[in-house]
Amino acid sequence: MTNHWIILFIIVPQVTGILSVLLMNKIRAQRFIGTLSFVFNTVFSIYLLLEVRAHGTIFVSQMSDWPAPFGISIVFDGLSGLLVAASSMVALGCYIHSFSLMHPMTQRRYFHPLIQLLMFGVNLSFLTGDLFNLFVSFEIMLMASYAMLTLGAERRQLTQAYKYILLNLIASTVFVIAAGLVYGLMGTLNMADLARIVAEKTAPGGEGLPAGFTAVSVMMLLVFGLKGAIFPLWFWLPDTYYTCPISIAAMFSGMLTKVGVYALARTFPLIFAHGAGHSMIMVIFAISAAFTMFLGVLGAVSNHEVRRILAIHVISQVGYMVFGIALMTPIALAGCLFYMIQHMVVKSALFLCCGIMERYAGTDDLYKMGGLLKRDRLLAVLFFVAAMSLVGLPPLSGFFGKLVIIQEGWHIHWWLSVLGLATGALTLLSMLKIWSYGFWNPPKGQHVVVPTGAPRPRMLKSGYFGVTLLVLTALFLGFGAQPVYDIAFQAGEQLTNPRAYISAVLQYDIDAPPHEQLAAAEHDAEVVDPMAVVADEREEATP
Amino acid sequence: MTLILAVCVAVILAVCIYLMLGRELKEVAMGVFLLSHAAHLSIIAMSRSPVLSGAEGHDLKSAPILGMGSQPVDALPQALILTSIVISFAVMGFLLTLIVLTGRRATTLNVDDLAKEQLPTP
Repeated sequence: MTNHWIILFIIVPQVTGILSVLLMNKIRAQRFIGTLSFVFNTVFSIYLLLEVRAHGTIFVSQMSDWPAPFGISIVFDGLSGLLVAASSMVALGCYIHSFSLMHPMTQRRYFHPLIQLLMFGVNLSFLTGDLFNLFVSFEIMLMASYAMLTLGAERRQLTQAYKYILLNLIASTVFVIAAGLVYGLMGTLNMADLARIVAEKTAPGGEGLPAGFTAVSVMMLLVFGLKGAIFPLWFWLPDTYYTCPISIAAMFSGMLTKVGVYALARTFPLIFAHGAGHSMIMVIFAISAAFTMFLGVLGAVSNHEVRRILAIHVISQVGYMVFGIALMTPIALAGCLFYMIQHMVVKSALFLCCGIMERYAGTDDLYKMGGLLKRDRLLAVLFFVAAMSLVGLPPLSGFFGKLVIIQEGWHIHWWLSVLGLATGALTLLSMLKIWSYGFWNPPKGQHVVVPTGAPRPRMLKSGYFGVTLLVLTALFLGFGAQPVYDIAFQAGEQLTNPRAYISAVLQYDIDAPPHEQLAAAEHDAEVVDPMAVVADEREEATP
Repeated sequence: MTLILAVCVAVILAVCIYLMLGRELKEVAMGVFLLSHAAHLSIIAMSRSPVLSGAEGHDLKSAPILGMGSQPVDALPQALILTSIVISFAVMGFLLTLIVLTGRRATTLNVDDLAKEQLPTP
């Protein structure tokens, strides 16, 4: 269904970003329009999601009204819609949190425009239906993230940033090469068109895919795996998230890796998992999921700095999502999608809590903090709910994500399911470590000099607001999992059986027999034959 | 022609891998510059007819261009390269700025020295 309003998800952050550059020295005005932009994105995406849930609609907008494989398509379906909604929500929470927890000097240096441009890139990569455009949106997002990583230009930040920037540059170049190869092989870059060609060629009696296709798939796996921080490619992540300001770290951990996982979840079931090396790629996925889950959580258990624990946990959780993709059944993909959005919300909430904990203790080293439970009940409650959601305690959101993936995985890769359960137990251990050291231990750290029972620091108010917003969202995802899962199951179904997606984007009925479509295409070609039009015009022009 | 392009891409890739393994940040940056050139050259090679035989109705490569002969060169790879050049240019600008800043703060651009300096932060 054509709906040109979905372009607003991309235009609104872009325009807001430009406006905030113009309002450079007026922090209040910048904050106001920034918040407005995120609120708009959240509300509008939820509104469209209700429509998607009710009718299973796929909203499509063709840029400049070029018909599908020729122009760029913007597609809002269940998968991208849920991710856009979750990322807008996360951005809103982190943005509000940053008002009080980010150093004013850092805020003055283009933070407000950059966060909008980051959202511009993230939303575009979720919504675009074109492989090369996906590259462009990755670059927009990465460019903003490079600048945000080095905001303030501290020594430590500068030296750490190189790892992230160089690796991403190399990955982007591989992406360009791979996209070029896809175009050379298939003659198109539109994802729906690619999916159509792949489905046609791999159907029984089809001629099969060209030999280089598996190579291209592996290149794509490398690129998206690096962005998503899956097993052999995750080494850049812990250090990067360790150095930057906490609100930015929360946003990055929530969104950036998920964009990589999203790209895997979108392109592999549709296109790249169907080459000659299909089974090998699935094995790579499964093994990578196993290592990502387990090594990530081991790293988290062995650390004692809150930021590091949380950052390495991102990797471990990405493992569950890749597990969902490795199974490649509709239900597992739905579980993967649900897990992605709940993880975005919960992980960012934990990072934001960590920001407030650092404010009290003056450090994020667990051995040097304690007694936060008495000092601040609200923070303790928020942290506990978020942590238990991450672990996956039954009524909370993480449970429903893991339940579906592990249950589905039991029949296909039972060993992965067992590993997933073990990882869950270790996750609980590492969260309890933060809980007992930070909240239960005898008071240590900066806040001890403040008398117990003193009112909360006034300046942190917006910090608490941001965390509360995300924790409430996480609670909603737990107690209201059903409506979200309705959409997720639809999305999983559409990924494994892309007929609806293809016919929505290419705007023709895929179920009609091919010769009728050919006839229709020829008929269209006759109607708009450009040479004939030009000839007519020339005749008219000459008297 | 494709063979020449392939050889060029291979040589450039070899050079930039050599450069990126260097210990100086400047060398690494130069390696990344070159890497994007290799990518662009490899896309140029894609402007021939696709490996798959033309799909019905939708074949981007046979898009009619007005006033041209029967076989115009496919223009899309050029558009892709143009986009990619602009992006890599922007990223390079950023990377060079970052290197200049690091040089001012740290007075060295050697990767080993930089790594040594920032080791333990008590």
